[in-house]
Amino acid sequence: MSFIESEERRALRAAVAELGAKYGPSYYVAKAKAGEKTDELWNEAAALGYLGVNVPEEYGGGGGGIGDLAAVCEELAAAGCPLLLMVVSPAICATIIARSGTEGQKKHWLPRFADGSVKMAFAITEPDAGSNAHCITTQARRDGDGWVLSGQKTFISGVDEADAVLFVSRTEDQKGNLRPSLFIVPTDAPGFTWTPIEMEIVSPEKQFICHLDEVRLPYEALVGEEDGGLLQLFAGLNPERIMATAMGAGIGRLALDKAVSYARERQVFKVPIGAHQGLAHPLAAAKVELELARLMGQKAAWLYDSGDDMGAGEAANMAKYAAAEAAVHCVDQAIQTHGGNGLTTEYGVGMLAGVVRLMRIAPVSREMILNFVAQHSLGLPKSY
Amino acid sequence: MNIVVCVKQVPDTESPRKLKSDDNTLDRAAADGVINELDEYAIEEALLLKEAHGGEVTVLTMGPDKATDSIRKALAMGADKAVHLVDDALAGSDALGTSYAIQQVLGRTGFDLVILGAESTDARTGMLAAMLAERLGVPQLSLANKVEIDGSSITVQRITDYGYDKVEASLPAVVSVVEKINEPRYPSFKGIMAAKKKPVEKLGVADAGIDADKVGLAGAATEVVDFADAPPREKGQIVTDEGDGGAKIAEFLASKKFV
Repeated sequence: MSFIESEERRALRAAVAELGAKYGPSYYVAKAKAGEKTDELWNEAAALGYLGVNVPEEYGGGGGGIGDLAAVCEELAAAGCPLLLMVVSPAICATIIARSGTEGQKKHWLPRFADGSVKMAFAITEPDAGSNAHCITTQARRDGDGWVLSGQKTFISGVDEADAVLFVSRTEDQKGNLRPSLFIVPTDAPGFTWTPIEMEIVSPEKQFICHLDEVRLPYEALVGEEDGGLLQLFAGLNPERIMATAMGAGIGRLALDKAVSYARERQVFKVPIGAHQGLAHPLAAAKVELELARLMGQKAAWLYDSGDDMGAGEAANMAKYAAAEAAVHCVDQAIQTHGGNGLTTEYGVGMLAGVVRLMRIAPVSREMILNFVAQHSLGLPKSY
Repeated sequence: MNIVVCVKQVPDTESPRKLKSDDNTLDRAAADGVINELDEYAIEEALLLKEAHGGEVTVLTMGPDKATDSIRKALAMGADKAVHLVDDALAGSDALGTSYAIQQVLGRTGFDLVILGAESTDARTGMLAAMLAERLGVPQLSLANKVEIDGSSITVQRITDYGYDKVEASLPAVVSVVEKINEPRYPSFKGIMAAKKKPVEKLGVADAGIDADKVGLAGAATEVVDFADAPPREKGQIVTDEGDGGAKIAEFLASKKFV
């Protein structure tokens, strides 16, 4: 193995960084504040194949791996344009359909993930089933040759701009530990409604509560096995964590870049403030954390792309934990470095605080990752 | 149509650029190398012409080993193949030597059209296209912001201080382009993946039939005898609006030939 990314991966990063620089933080923030979407960037990145790098070639995608998609996500985030729906649509949904879908589903959806012309949201969290997915109550009932779906989901990203949502549910006679059944629900399906959740985060992508009231679906809405194993779900959740790592690393880089250029220029007491160890050391420490998180993210992607789902699970969880911590520390120290300017709108640092703080909670909380590591990596007894 | 694009790798304009104190040449190792900005427009124009008229686009780069990154990017954008002229004997060549070396390589590749950026961001002499056309004995169409090809004739719009000229010539020809000509594309993911499989021919001075005495620092007809850091930026002019602010700004811009 090598710790140096391939020539193609580096070229991809450079190309995406250049595209990201054309838009930049000002574009992203303006869109978020105007209540608009980043459609121009999404469409341009999609046309260049950047959003479908991980879709198999036979369905029009780039034929690359989650490592390539994560590189795209990280570079856009580092350019000030974190695209949250990349984590959901091409990473989770396209992966699940590519791995568990029928040939018909693949032919229908994958080419549109490949060219970015479709967005699919992903709905797992429920008001009473947050970190504990086994409490999921969204229920699918067989009805003739189709299904009827009812239930409620919360904190679902991007439903308003999605063409469909992939719902994690259980069939009516399935009790106890979750054996998930996954359904694709078009956003225009009768009985499917959603309401936005007001958030204290600067982001063009919004969060929603989804209501499914007797939503009638054709048989082909089911992806993979009915009452399938958790593995078909985890097929999509490892990429989610790898992408969350990439996004955290990208935002961390952005914050650190801003802090470093400010610390080089800003002079107080006749020297640049970056010469003072009180500011230099915390920035250096944040850099160390950031690089370690990136490295673990690359390991997770490498394991996942080489087919080791179990190995990838541990690495992806650890990477996601480390990236969220690193991003929080990078942004916090960037704010501190900027002094009062750190919380102004103009310098664009303070507004990163909400989103990196969220990364400690979603898509999987810091505490649940530590539970996982304590139990699976260390062999400690289960606490819940 | 056989289109050759001359692509130069230059130090990233975002990073500080330095000359070496021992021989007064550019320190190419000190900064990241990127494709000279105007050359990206030249690549784009070559690709557009190929898409419209068919043919093949060859990237021609003279530069050290690390210029490979720039060649790969040009190939990822869509060029078909590349020739990389790389030899320590070429280091320090001036425009005269460079034009001679490129002429020799063009003698091997052949060409219907050679496209270059109008100048490089490092040396900024803006002379290469003219010297190359002279050496090759073909027409030069400079500072183009529009290129049209019809059979064996080529027409360009050429930017001038007062508007533009329309210039026509017959192929083969040399064209230099300015940034108004197009919007260079980003390499697509498929382009990036395909670039690695595209042929890159590496040539040394001897392979290309170049007389080593006519190139490099020793063969240069010009010499940088001294250099100094650019003076710090002067304070800008502040226009106070007393009802005539607009007119004053227009006057200032006109004095600098911006309008």
